Amino acid sequence: MAPDKQSSPPSRILVVDDEITIQKFLRSILSSEGFTLQIADNGVAALTATAMFKPDLVLLDLGLPDMDGIEVIRRMREWSTVPIIVLSVREREDDKVLALDAGADDYLSKPFGMAELLARIRVALRRVVQTAEPLFKSGELEVDLASRRVALRGADMALTPTEYDILRLLVSYAGKVVTLNQILKQVWGDAYIDQPQVLRVNISNLRHKLEPDPSRPRYIITEPGVGYKLRIID
Amino acid sequence: MKMDSLDTGALNRFSNLLGTSTVFGYLASILMVAGATLVCEILRPLLLPINLLMIYLVTVVLAAFNMGRRPAILTVVLSAFMHNYLYVPPRYGFAFQRKEYLATFLGLLVTGTVISSLVTKARERAEALREREAETASLYRLSRELVTATDRPAILATVISNIEMTLTVSAALFITNGEELELTKASSDFFPGEEERAVALQANLTGQYLEHYQPFQGKFCCFPLATMQRTFGVMAVALTGDSTRPPEQTHRLLEAFATQTALALERVELSHEAEQAQNLRMRQKLERALLNSVSHDLRTPLSTITGVLSSILVEGDRLTPTIQRELLENAKDEADRLNRFVGKLLDMTRLEAGGMILKMEPCDVQDLIGCALGAMERQLLNRQVIVDLAPELPLVDMDMALMNQVLINLLDNATKYSPPGSAIEVTAWCNGDSLLIMTADHGSGIPEQDLERVFEKFYRVPVPEGVSGTGLGLSICHGIVEAHGGTIHAENRPDGGLAVTLSIPLSLPQHTEDTNHGP
Repeated sequence: MAPDKQSSPPSRILVVDDEITIQKFLRSILSSEGFTLQIADNGVAALTATAMFKPDLVLLDLGLPDMDGIEVIRRMREWSTVPIIVLSVREREDDKVLALDAGADDYLSKPFGMAELLARIRVALRRVVQTAEPLFKSGELEVDLASRRVALRGADMALTPTEYDILRLLVSYAGKVVTLNQILKQVWGDAYIDQPQVLRVNISNLRHKLEPDPSRPRYIITEPGVGYKLRIID
Repeated sequence: MKMDSLDTGALNRFSNLLGTSTVFGYLASILMVAGATLVCEILRPLLLPINLLMIYLVTVVLAAFNMGRRPAILTVVLSAFMHNYLYVPPRYGFAFQRKEYLATFLGLLVTGTVISSLVTKARERAEALREREAETASLYRLSRELVTATDRPAILATVISNIEMTLTVSAALFITNGEELELTKASSDFFPGEEERAVALQANLTGQYLEHYQPFQGKFCCFPLATMQRTFGVMAVALTGDSTRPPEQTHRLLEAFATQTALALERVELSHEAEQAQNLRMRQKLERALLNSVSHDLRTPLSTITGVLSSILVEGDRLTPTIQRELLENAKDEADRLNRFVGKLLDMTRLEAGGMILKMEPCDVQDLIGCALGAMERQLLNRQVIVDLAPELPLVDMDMALMNQVLINLLDNATKYSPPGSAIEVTAWCNGDSLLIMTADHGSGIPEQDLERVFEKFYRVPVPEGVSGTGLGLSICHGIVEAHGGTIHAENRPDGGLAVTLSIPLSLPQHTEDTNHGP
């Protein structure tokens, strides 16, 4: 899943951070991984660079000197679908939800491990390349989006339409967190935003059907205070 | 503008002389003499005229006892004349020409006067005693009520109501606040004007009693609220002229009230200061402990990291790849530890600053426990975790991220303070309107006397070697659970190990944010 250095041109990453040490660190690590890098140290420069440099991915710090990172995400999302991974020292769940709801694809708290960052970058890039993969596999779980079939250890599972809609949504964002409001909005509609009870109950039911031990879920992982994600187990 | 208190006293006495009570006294004495005369008329055939004198003397005593000095004297004079006129021959005529009759007349006059004066004095003494008693009683009542008043507003309210009750007058309390003198508390019908305020200010500055006389409104008296140390302000009373109490006495009583008030204010202030000093000492102690702990917990991992990095920078060529890797892993672990510690410090600070805003939403308890177990996956790798959930647990209102942190901290403690490989139990059930979650281990527990203290900041149990902790985990749990309106407590299990049980309400009825949205 590493960027294919032979056949395709190297992925282009825009790093938006005003800390020189972080810039240096990311530059040396990401360059050695074969990515092409552009650095922006404020929000305006980031927006310009997104238009000019046309990155495949943006790594965005939220604490920028000229404008808040959340605002940068909103403005980028007005005209761009480039994957955005937020790198921030803000570790409160509220901040994560704000960033994700504004349109960020992923959120990584500083300090982070290199392996973790590279894994997130790969997931984000892969989503761009293979948006509509009809067959999803994670561990013993198989979801065939084309035929609406869900199987566990090869055996078909009977899901309610709502449970299937939730699972399909999680599959389409596999490996990254989907916020409660994003799920509520897409599965139930705008009116259900901030009414997470129905979602909690459905997730609980889904787990009882899919998870070997619902108390220690393997597939549907809760990010407390943020949302859910479907874990990819190779 | 100001009048000497003696002059007003004389004025009051003059008004007493013409007062309604005295006029009634004179009328009553005339009636009593008439009554005595009637009795004498009935007894005249039976007694000698000289014996009828006794009837009049009894009347004088009665008059003196009941009506005071002046009506008694009137009774004496009237009695002497009536006796002489009616019962000393000649009847219906005055007989002063015969010496013995003159002696009888004068004797009655003098004896009557002396008796009336003695009786009146006794009466006045008794009355003074009664008033003194009432005064003592009202002072006692005030001081008793002041003792139970624990703060300044309570004291001021007590004083005003006592003045109103004892003297049926209006009162106001001016209290110094820095340079200003503020009207802090007053009877509901009392509105001191500019002039009165000026007098109060003056009394406060000089610490002397001052009064301000207004022709139609009576006297505005200012008693400074002074102790040996300082003046707290001024007690002002509006005295009207028609008080039955002698003015000196009222003045004395009010002075005593002012002293009591000042002492009570001083007591409250001193105890407040003592409390603050105590709080400050506690805070300083806590801050010292915090600084010590913080500097230790920050510096220890930093020294490892610095050591590793500098050794690789300087000696990098001479170290084998295996050793380099070991060193780097060590540094990485310490960096992670440092990060966790900073996170906990931030959590603690947020909790203490009250900046932790709960994001309450209905949560699945199984999900909550699953998350915490997932986050602790690495530490729980070689352990049996027994999860026991009561069936049909409802969704519970909570801030899931924070409660997840609580469970992680509890599980972290359980793994740290119990033998490797021993089982850990997580149990959740409902009891009435509460959700209870218990984590339990098979470690050595905590000394009984420390069970309460484990939730204090920077408390650390005497730990086995090699266990690192911040002493913040449980106090963060405590803060978060308390913010949820719940409780948390620790107990040693009968068969060894520690059980920590938290309890939070199933739902917060006052949380109505959700109603703003949709159906």
